[in-house]
Amino acid sequence: MNKWIKGTILSVGITIGFSSSFAIAADTPLGKFRMAEEVKLITLDPHNHTGGGLSYLRPVYETLFYRTPDARIEPLLATSYKLEGMTLEITLREDVKFSDGEPFNAKAVVANITRGIELGVLAGLKPVEKAEAIGDYKVLITLKAPSPSLLLDLTGNSGMMVSPIALQAPALDRNPVGTGPYVYNAEMSREGEVRIYTPNPTYWEPEQIGLESIEIWEIPDNTARLNAITTGQVDIGKWLSSPQAVILDKTPGLTLIKRPGGSTYHLVISDREGTKVPAFADKRVRQAMNYAIDREAFAAAVQFGLSVPAFQPVDSGHWSYNTAVDGRFAYNPDKARELLAEAGYADGFTFTMPSIPVFSARLEAIAGFFQDVGITMNIDPIEPGTLARRSRTTDYAATNLVWRHLADPSLLTTYYIGESGIFNPFKVKPSDKLSKLVADGLAAKEIDQRAPIYSQVFEQLADESYLIYITATPLLVGTTDDVANNPTVNFRAGESSPYWRGLRMSQ
Amino acid sequence: MKTATNKTHNASMLAVAIPASTILILLVIVSIGAEWIAPYDPLKQSLREALQSPSPAHWLGTDNLGRDVLSRLIFGGRIALISSLEATLIAVVLGVPLGLFIGYRGGWWDWAVMRLVEAVVSIPGIMVAIVIIAILGPGLHRAMIALGILYSTAFLRLARSVVLAEREEVYVKAARVIGASSNRILLRHILPNIAPPLIIQVTLTIGAVLLAEAGLSFVGLGVQPPGASWGTMLNTAATYMALNAFLAVPPGLAIVITVLSVNLLGDVLRDSVGRGIAISVKPTTPTAKFAESTTTSQPKADDILHIQGLQVVVNSKDGSEFPVITDLSFSIKKGETLGLVGESGCGKTITGLSILGLIGTGGRVTHGTINLNNTELTSFSTQQMEQIRGDEVAMVFQDPTTSLNPAFTVGDQIAEVLRVKQGMTKKQAWARAVELIDRVGITRPAERAKAYPHELSGGMAQRIAIARALSCNPKLLIADEPTTALDVTIQQEILDLFRDLQDEFGMAILFVTHDLAVAADICDRVCVMYAGELVEMANVDELFAAPRHPYTAGLLSAMPHASDRKPPLPTIKGTVPVPKLWPTGCRFSERCDYSQKACEQLITLTGTTSQVRCIRANEINMGASI
Amino acid sequence: MLRLIGQRLISLIPLLFIVSVLTFSFTALLPGDPVDLIIGDEGTAEQYEMVRERLGMNVPIVTRYFQWLGRAAQGDLGTSFFNSVPVMDAVMQRLPVTISLTAVSALIAVIVGMAAGIAAALNPRSWIDRLATFGATLGQAIPNFWFGILLVAFFAVSLRWFPATGFTPISTSPWEWLRSVTLPALALGLSSSAAIARQVRSAMVGVLQQDYIRAARAQGLSRRRVVFKHVLKNALIPVVAVLSFQITILLGGALIVEQVFAINGLGSLAISAVRQQDIPMIQGIVLVSVFIVVAIQLTTDMIYGFLNPKARPS
Repeated sequence: MNKWIKGTILSVGITIGFSSSFAIAADTPLGKFRMAEEVKLITLDPHNHTGGGLSYLRPVYETLFYRTPDARIEPLLATSYKLEGMTLEITLREDVKFSDGEPFNAKAVVANITRGIELGVLAGLKPVEKAEAIGDYKVLITLKAPSPSLLLDLTGNSGMMVSPIALQAPALDRNPVGTGPYVYNAEMSREGEVRIYTPNPTYWEPEQIGLESIEIWEIPDNTARLNAITTGQVDIGKWLSSPQAVILDKTPGLTLIKRPGGSTYHLVISDREGTKVPAFADKRVRQAMNYAIDREAFAAAVQFGLSVPAFQPVDSGHWSYNTAVDGRFAYNPDKARELLAEAGYADGFTFTMPSIPVFSARLEAIAGFFQDVGITMNIDPIEPGTLARRSRTTDYAATNLVWRHLADPSLLTTYYIGESGIFNPFKVKPSDKLSKLVADGLAAKEIDQRAPIYSQVFEQLADESYLIYITATPLLVGTTDDVANNPTVNFRAGESSPYWRGLRMSQ
Repeated sequence: MKTATNKTHNASMLAVAIPASTILILLVIVSIGAEWIAPYDPLKQSLREALQSPSPAHWLGTDNLGRDVLSRLIFGGRIALISSLEATLIAVVLGVPLGLFIGYRGGWWDWAVMRLVEAVVSIPGIMVAIVIIAILGPGLHRAMIALGILYSTAFLRLARSVVLAEREEVYVKAARVIGASSNRILLRHILPNIAPPLIIQVTLTIGAVLLAEAGLSFVGLGVQPPGASWGTMLNTAATYMALNAFLAVPPGLAIVITVLSVNLLGDVLRDSVGRGIAISVKPTTPTAKFAESTTTSQPKADDILHIQGLQVVVNSKDGSEFPVITDLSFSIKKGETLGLVGESGCGKTITGLSILGLIGTGGRVTHGTINLNNTELTSFSTQQMEQIRGDEVAMVFQDPTTSLNPAFTVGDQIAEVLRVKQGMTKKQAWARAVELIDRVGITRPAERAKAYPHELSGGMAQRIAIARALSCNPKLLIADEPTTALDVTIQQEILDLFRDLQDEFGMAILFVTHDLAVAADICDRVCVMYAGELVEMANVDELFAAPRHPYTAGLLSAMPHASDRKPPLPTIKGTVPVPKLWPTGCRFSERCDYSQKACEQLITLTGTTSQVRCIRANEINMGASI
Repeated sequence: MLRLIGQRLISLIPLLFIVSVLTFSFTALLPGDPVDLIIGDEGTAEQYEMVRERLGMNVPIVTRYFQWLGRAAQGDLGTSFFNSVPVMDAVMQRLPVTISLTAVSALIAVIVGMAAGIAAALNPRSWIDRLATFGATLGQAIPNFWFGILLVAFFAVSLRWFPATGFTPISTSPWEWLRSVTLPALALGLSSSAAIARQVRSAMVGVLQQDYIRAARAQGLSRRRVVFKHVLKNALIPVVAVLSFQITILLGGALIVEQVFAINGLGSLAISAVRQQDIPMIQGIVLVSVFIVVAIQLTTDMIYGFLNPKARPS
C-alpha cells in the first residue's frame, strides 16, 4: 500500500502546473497520443453511457465542471456557480461553440440535462428535478432529492455537453458533437479497433490543442494490450490487476503507475428477496458467502499482490473508512458451512453470475471458494462493455461490479440501496435501519458529520451482506517511460485518461 | 504378389490399430473412473499454490487457481468423451433417418432437403455452430447439439447415397420379380450396406467433434468455467502464457493424442472395409530356380536390337526379389517386324519396357545385355537413356486413351517431343506436328492438333500416339498391343498404317500382342513367351504351319478362324502361374497334356534359326492335337 | 470459360436464396423478444412500440424478409441492434483482416502441402514419404488454436521474432503486416497443409502410374519435365477440388485463431454478436461469409476448368 501512496505523491507533484501556470506556446500541434482502453466502446452518447470506457468521450465532450488532479472541483464550461439547498445556479462561459458551429448557451445546457433526466440512465441525474434557462448564459438546476455528489457528477458524463442539433440525430452513439479540443474522426476510425480524434478547428482555446491526433485503441485482451504497449503501438494503457500488469511493471522502459482513486471489486446479490434464487433471501446465506472467500489468497494469487482485501466500498484513505468493518468476514469456510446449514442449505444451491473476460479469473476463483462450501456458481460470459447494462436487468440474480473510491458514498443509495437504485433491478426495499442511515447521510452536510453515519452504513451493509466486497485495487496505468516523464501528461483524479487540454507529445 | 502385399499391409494396420485403440480404451476407462483415478477434485482450488510447475504432489503442476492440472485433464477427458459421443449420436440420429427417408422418397422432398444441406455446407462449419449457439445459448450440451446438427449433413448424404445405390440394385434384380415386398428388400439391403461407411463416418465425426468442441470451449461458447474441459484449460493457459507456458502442454497433447488415435483407427477401418478382409496366403511352392544363359551370341551386322540372356526381377513389398523374365534372348533385324506373343502375365510388356529402361522403381535388370544398334543399353545412365528414348527407340502403348495426357492438346504433346528432342522452335515443332498428324491419316490435321485426347475416338488417338512415337525417326518401334483396345474394323486400319509407315520410315518393329491373328498379319518372325521365358521362336509361316511347343499349339487352337466358327474353341486349361509360383522345370508342364516326369527338370532352349523349349518337341506331332 | 461461369452463377441462385431464408429465420428462432433485449427491463410501452417500429417488426415476417432481401441486394444489411453502426460497415471493416489471414494461410497450406505431397509421392515408401504421411496425419489432429498458442510461446514470447498479438493492415506497413500475419496464418494453415499434402500425394501416386506418364518418359522426356509438367497438371485437378473446401474450413478456423492472437476480424465480431444476440450483425456476417465462400468456389471452378479440359462445356 505504501507503494501507491508514493505514486500518489509523485503524480500530484507533477500535475500541479495544470491549467493556470502551465503556459503553452501556440505553435503547431505535434505528434500523436495513443492509448489503449480495456473495455470496448459501446456508445459515444454520454446520456446513454454506463460503466467503463468514458475516456472515449473525453476528447470530444467537455463537462460543466472538472476535477483537478488533486480531486478539487472547478468550473470548466461554467465560470461560476451557486449551490443553495436544492438548487444549483450555474453561470456559463460565453465564448464557446460546439464543433458543428452551434452556440454553447443556457438553452443547450437545458436540452442536455433534460435529455439526461428523461433517458434516466445516469445515476447522477436521478435526483435532478429539472433544469431551466434563467438567462442566455445562466442555468438553474432544481433537485427533487438531496445530492451531495451533484457537482462531482457534473464532472462526468452527467455534465457532458452535446450539441443540441446532434442531440436530435438518431446516430449520436457514433457521431458525437461537443465543445472539446478534439473531434471524433469517423472516417479514420475503425469500428471495434481504434477511435481517432483530430483537432477541433473552432476550439475556444486553440493553444490548448497540442496533438495532431489522439488514438484510442480498443484492446480488451490483457496480453494484446501488454503487447501493444511493449511494441510501441500505444503510449499508455489501462490495467486491472492481471499477470500482464505484473509483467509490465517489470519491463524496462515501461512504468506501471499506481494511483489513488482505484476501485473495490464486489459481488452484488441483486435478488435479495429470493425471487429467482430463494436462498438469497436468507441473510445467513449471504453472510456464509462472505465468509467463504479467502481474500488474502485471492489478492495474492488472482490479483498478483496488486490489491488488498476489502470489506467495505471505500479504501483505507477515505474519510468514511470504518476500521471496525475491516476483517469482519475473515476467511472461515467452517463458519460458512455452518451458516448455510442453519439456513437449510446444507446441500447448497445454484446461481448464475455474468462474467466479462477481465473478471473471469476472479469469478472462477470465487466459484471455487463457493464450491468448497457447497454453493454452485455458474459463470455466464457476456460481451465486454455490457456488464453494467446487463447488471441493471433481472437477467441475473447476482452480479459483480467495481465501486470507484472517489465516488461519494451517498451514491451507494442511488446505485444499490434505494428501491429504485440502478443496480437494484428487483426493486428490493432497503431495511428500515439502512433506510434511516442513508437518509441521515444525505441530510448531513459536513464531512465530520457524514463520516460516522457512513461508517455505520458500511457496518450495516456488512451485516446484510448483499454487497460482498472482496479486494481494493489502486488505479493502474501502464505507460512508457517517455509518457511517465512528460510533464504535460496529467491524469484526472479517479480516471485513467489524461486531461487532453494542454497535452503535448514531443517527437 | 497379392498375398505378400496383404500380409505386410495387415501387419502395419495392426501396428497402428493396437496402440490407437489402447489409447482410446484407456481414455474411456479413465473417464468412467475419473472420481477414483484423479488425485484431486478438479474444482478444488488452492490459491496459495497457484501456477506451480510439475512436482510429486502435482504431477502436471497447478493452474492459475492452484487446481491440479492432472485431475482437470482427467475430468476434461470425460467431457471430451461425453461431448463427442453426444454430438455424434445427434448427428447419426438426425442424419441417417432423414437421409434414408429422402433417398427413399426422392422427388420434391429429396430436392428440398438436399438444397438445404448444400446451403448449410456452404457456410463455414464453425460459423454454423456459432449461429446455432446464438439461438440455443452457450454451454456444452447446446454446443454439442449445434455440432450434431452440423455433422448430421454428412450422415444424411451418406445414408441417401446408400439408398440410391441399393435402390438401383434391388429394383433391377430380385424386387421386380417379387413385386410388392420390394420395400422390405430395400431395407434389408440397406442395413448391411450402410454399416461399414457409417462406422467410418462415425470415427471421422468423433475426431472432428473433439477438435470443434475444444475450439468452441476455447472461445467461451462451449464448456463454461470453472468446469474442466481441454478447451477451457487451453483458454486459461493462453492467459497465463507469460507466467507458466507449461500449462498449454497437457491439454493440447491430450487433444492431439486422442484425435490422432481416432483418426488413425478411422484410416485403418476405411482401409480394411475398402479392401475387404485381407487373407494372407503363403506361397506353397518355392520360387523356381532359373538357369544362367547357356549360349552366348554376338549381334549380327544387320541386327538393330539384340537381347542376350536377359533376366528381370521385381521386388515385393516384403523386400524380397523374384524374377519375372529369365534367360530371354532374341534379336530384330533392320526393317523387320518381330512379334512377341503369349497370354497376359507372360512378361511381354516388361520386355518392351526393359529395352526402354522403364521397368520402374520396383524392378531391375539383373542379367543379360540389351544391344540397340550396336550400343549396350544396360549400363546406361538415366540421362543417356533419355537421349536414346524417342530418338532411337519409341513405344506405342495399348490404350491410346490413357497413353495420351488428358490435360494437354494432342498437337502439344507431339510438338513438345520435337522441341525437347530435336531442338525445334515452338513454331517449327507445331508445323511438324501437324504434318505428322496428317501423315498418320487424320483429316483436318491443323484443327485436330488443337483437340484434347478425350475429344478423339480411340482409333484417332492411337494414330496420334503413333505419330508421336515416330516424330523423331526411331530405328526401333515397340508396339505394345497397339490394336487390342480398338474396334475390330479400326484394328485393320491401324495395322495397315504400321505397314505403310514401316515402308516409309524403315524402322524395325517389336510387335507385342496376345492375338495370333494380328501377329500372323503383320509379323515376319514370332517369339512365343510363356511365364517369363521364350518357349518358341520361328518365322511366321513356319510357326503357324507347324508349332513345336505345346503352348504355341494351344494358342493356335484357341485362335478363331473366320471360316471355321462352328465347333467351340478349345482353350488351354488353367492360367499362367504368378512368377512366385513358377515350377522348377517346364513352366508350362502343369497345363500341358504331354507333360511327363522329365519335364520337372530345367529345360533349355534348342535350335538356332528357329528355337523351342520343350524336351518332347521332336517326338510329338502338335498338328495332331489340334 | 464464360459459359462455365454463367452456368455456375445460375446454379448459385437457389443456394443464395436458401441461405438468405435460413439466415433471416434466425430472427424468428431466437428466444425472447429482440425489442425487450434492446430496451431492457425499464422500457415503457411507448419505447417498446418505437423500437418495434424502428426495427420494422410490426409487419408480417414474409414482408419483412423481402424488405430485408431487397435492402441486402443493395448492400444494406441493416444496423446493429446495439449501436448505430451499419452492419455492412462493421463487416467490411473486419473483412480485410479475416481475408488476409485466410488467404495467407491458404497460400501456406498450398505451398507446404504441395511440397510435402510431391516429395512423398516421388519417393514412395522412403523416409521422406513416411515423414510426410505421419506429419499429415498428425497435422490434422492438432487443434489450430493450440498450435497458435505454441507458436506464440516460442516465436513471440521467447524469441520475440513476431508480435504475440494484433494485426497491422497491409496499407499501414506491408512489413509489419507480414510479421503480424505470419504466426496466425501458420497456425491456421497447418491442418489444411496436411489435408492438401495427403491429397497431392495420393493424386500424384495415381497419376505417376498412368500410361501417359510412362508414354511421355518413353518419348525421352526427362523425369523432371514429366513430373513438373505432365504429372503436376493432372495431380492438381483433385487438389483444386479440395482447395475450395479447405478455404471454407480456413475461413471458419480463422474465427477461432483470431481469438488466440487478439485479432479484430470477423471472428471477434461474430462472437460479440452472438453474446449480445445482435441479430442483424449475425445475419450480415453469415450472408457475407457465404458470399465469400461462393466466390471462392467460383474461382476454384474456373481454375479447375483451366486444368481439366474435360470439365469445360464443349
